[in-house]
Amino acid sequence: MADILKPVRAAGRPRDRVVGARDGSNRREPDDAGLLRMLYYMKLTRAIEDRIERKLHRQGKISGGVYVSRGQEAISVGAAMHIRHTGNDEIDDIISPSHRDMAIFLMQGVTPERILAQYMARRTGLTRGRDGNMHMGDMRYRLVAFISHLGDSIPVAAGTALTFKMRGTDQISFCFFGEGASSRGDWHEGVNFATVQRLPIVFICNNNQYAYSTPVSRQMAIERFSDRALAYAVPGETVDGNDVLAVYDAVGRSVERARQGQGPTILECVTFRMTGHSAHDDAGYVPPHLFEEWAHKDPIDRLVSLLGERSLLDSAALDEMDGRIAVELDEAVAWAERQPFPEPEECLHGVYGE
Amino acid sequence: MRRDETSVNPDREIGRGLSDDSMRRMMPPPAGPLHAAGWPRAQLRELHRLLRLNRSVEEKLSVLFRQGHIVGGFYSSLGQEAISVGTAWALAPDDLLAPMIRNIGSLLVRGVSPADLFRQFLGRFDGPTRGKDGTLHFGNVRKRALIGPISHLGTLIPVMVGAGLAARMRGERKVALTYIGDGGSSTGYFHEGLNLAAVLDIPLILIVENNGYAYSVPTPRQFAVNSLAERGPAYGVASESVDGTDLFAVIEATRRAVERGRRDGSPTLIECRAFRMKGHAEHDDMRYVPRELLEAWRKLDPLDRLEKFLVEEGHATRKEIEELTREIAVTLDQEAAAALESPLPPPEEALRGVYREPRYEEPWWPIS
Repeated sequence: MADILKPVRAAGRPRDRVVGARDGSNRREPDDAGLLRMLYYMKLTRAIEDRIERKLHRQGKISGGVYVSRGQEAISVGAAMHIRHTGNDEIDDIISPSHRDMAIFLMQGVTPERILAQYMARRTGLTRGRDGNMHMGDMRYRLVAFISHLGDSIPVAAGTALTFKMRGTDQISFCFFGEGASSRGDWHEGVNFATVQRLPIVFICNNNQYAYSTPVSRQMAIERFSDRALAYAVPGETVDGNDVLAVYDAVGRSVERARQGQGPTILECVTFRMTGHSAHDDAGYVPPHLFEEWAHKDPIDRLVSLLGERSLLDSAALDEMDGRIAVELDEAVAWAERQPFPEPEECLHGVYGE
Repeated sequence: MRRDETSVNPDREIGRGLSDDSMRRMMPPPAGPLHAAGWPRAQLRELHRLLRLNRSVEEKLSVLFRQGHIVGGFYSSLGQEAISVGTAWALAPDDLLAPMIRNIGSLLVRGVSPADLFRQFLGRFDGPTRGKDGTLHFGNVRKRALIGPISHLGTLIPVMVGAGLAARMRGERKVALTYIGDGGSSTGYFHEGLNLAAVLDIPLILIVENNGYAYSVPTPRQFAVNSLAERGPAYGVASESVDGTDLFAVIEATRRAVERGRRDGSPTLIECRAFRMKGHAEHDDMRYVPRELLEAWRKLDPLDRLEKFLVEEGHATRKEIEELTREIAVTLDQEAAAALESPLPPPEEALRGVYREPRYEEPWWPIS
């Protein structure tokens, strides 16, 4: 198990294999180590977000809001498995995450320590204590900082993909957003530009069915979000976003198209936001039965039972993984709490070019 | 690994000329004779008068521009007149209508007089904006159900969704029609407005005037779809594409949309294909437009096609058409000359209407 706990960078891309899915189609899967790594990162994501949302936030230790991806982890993890990340800017991909993509930060090598420092506004956080939560990025990890104004990251991501096209490399951009952001004008402008220019980019929508309190039926008048692809003459596809293998397979095909210069794909991963919009929101507007129904489709539970069926994971190994994550996070929280806050005069740094 | 060069579509490359494929996409659709079986002759002749008037008013405005009389820009609808006239014609007088800058024809159908237009373009004090604006930025919601254009392309779409929503909340069965170009379809407002119309089920009729160029950007660099009508299903909006140089096709498509709007309260997108036969504005020599495209589209002149139809079907003679054209030209010359005699606004007028002034804000135009 030890090697699966290494960052993706160190472990390298898994070797894909093609297997028959239950519906009779063939789809690609990562190798056994890859499957275990996906479980590890889904669990690590859930655990770190539980700590932040349910402990540290309630203890008053978090600065600003908390937006978690509980129930949606399979989308970030299944997609991030395809990101090329070697530390070489000439070949690495670029990611524009949404605010519910914690797993991508972890998988790109940002440590839990630094993420917790970010949430606690410490000087060693990614924004050096200037901003909280997911408003972070670091080009060393090829992560474009998440832009608060939903939809604004789409044209930015298209710009990164344009760079790759102009340089003639086979790098690609990963662009994540929610279904609410897709109603923004910026989204349309960015997607239209990317499709006209046939840029190497994959658009991944985590359709979690609520944009704050707006249900998807009040967000768009189409059955599937992926139908938006018709407006841009690019392929669109809808997958079960709580099935990490379905996400892995669909993103893999989209990545291949993008790398081969065949242009963008619009992927819809259907999931459910298992929390309020943020930690302060009790989601009283969501019918309770929806939470119950979707709890049965939990992506981590599903992957655990699949790995059990394939005899890749027994309860002892599962306990070991959980225990390891708990220890890792205890240490990370302790480290983050020891970190200093920024000095007042630091707020003057980095305002202009330095 | 370098990407396979051949997989990149050359006409989508920045800064290169139009590929054969792009030229093919921009060529006109096959066009035969017009059809209007069973239409009353008086109606056909009135439609012709409006289309001719649209063309002649713009010809006169072009002359005035070159003489240096026009304040600001002039954006011609040469080759696209059937879209303005046909869509406005298919509406009831109290349906909400928001023309854009190439829709003089829509204004003429709604009863805006050429004299008003001349006074407006010449920046005169007795023009619809009292000399404050030089193009079509005026409207009168109460008397003409006309909402003035907003310069920022695309922004009228959400405005018209709001107007349609207001009408529905008042229990009125009105449709709200506005226009956007192929270029404006790439704006965020287009997306936000059309999505909102679909979600709220507003009887919006969005006329997409695909005239081949957004200033100097040809349509293959503007969108990846072949027809902007393909955008309809992506929003859950009914859509169709028509030949925008065929007046009757435009009217019939708009009528279908009006019927849908009144019956179901739902939106429609209509792509009208035509070609911008002049530059973006009067100052633009459009050297970036391949001559072959202009020559091919010139054969689909909407006025020529209508006149040919009228003559061949026996609704008018060439002589009558020439007579009408001459009469219109004489009248317009007189009206333009009169407008040139109208006073320019006094300097202090610039200070009025900036802040709320209840009686001043009440549109004084049209006088009748």
